[in-house]
Amino acid sequence: MELFGLFISLALVNNVVLNRFLAVCPLLGVSKNSKNALNMGYAVTFVIFIASIITYLLYHQVLKPLKITYMDLITFILVIASLVQFVEMFLKKTSPEIYKAMGVYLPLITTNCAVLGVALDNISSKYNFVEAMVAGLAVPIGFTLVIYIFATIRERLEIADVPAAFKGAPIALITAGIMAFAMAGIAGIV
Amino acid sequence: MIQAVLSLAIIGGILGAILGISDMYLKVENDPRVDQVMGMLPNANCGGCGFPGCAGFASALVEGEVSKVGTCVVCSADKKTEIAEYLNSTPGPDGTTVKVTA
Repeated sequence: MELFGLFISLALVNNVVLNRFLAVCPLLGVSKNSKNALNMGYAVTFVIFIASIITYLLYHQVLKPLKITYMDLITFILVIASLVQFVEMFLKKTSPEIYKAMGVYLPLITTNCAVLGVALDNISSKYNFVEAMVAGLAVPIGFTLVIYIFATIRERLEIADVPAAFKGAPIALITAGIMAFAMAGIAGIV
Repeated sequence: MIQAVLSLAIIGGILGAILGISDMYLKVENDPRVDQVMGMLPNANCGGCGFPGCAGFASALVEGEVSKVGTCVVCSADKKTEIAEYLNSTPGPDGTTVKVTA
């Protein structure tokens, strides 16, 4: 039951994009098209899940016994960068259309603060292995939800009657702000 | 101190080896014309052409999705003619050439 509360807390109540304001770059960059947004969400989910497992194991089995916990930042980035490179190679081989549609935002998952954020939070919040895995699933699922909803709203805004000065990026940013308002409404539940 | 250096080196080595091995299994056949065109483009990655980066524009040119090299607003005029001449004269893996205008 506690794990379920953790899942809801990380995915919705303390949403990584709308409450903690991490990972805003892919939110605004890949959300022109809802299919791209969903694919970006899947890629980020895969990266964050695997990265949180590997970094957790790395921290507790290698860095702590050797008393070099100050190296956590560097080794985590190393792991995340290699994971993203692997995802890139895999996508280029299996589905070139998705690879081309995501363009430069796929390697930018490496610098996505949400990935490193989840990895470091698992350490600082002293989660055990199962909780780290749940965090690795909950955070990107929350991110995927938000980016998909945002993309569908943006698709509607393309054909809506928006004042000329607000067309494109301004109305998108205002929409993101209103979505953050909505998320703030359930703050403090878990 | 030495543990930090060694462990980082070992972790980097293991990850590099994994990437190298997976690169062997995940090889993609690249049309060499795309790389040539990419070398001739200004590589500003501005997205002004409407494609995701200069790589996207280069592959769109080679695949025939766009026929005007002038879609790239950053390209200089002699570069445009250079790219057009290159694509009009070099056959691809299947033997056909792409018809583009500068």
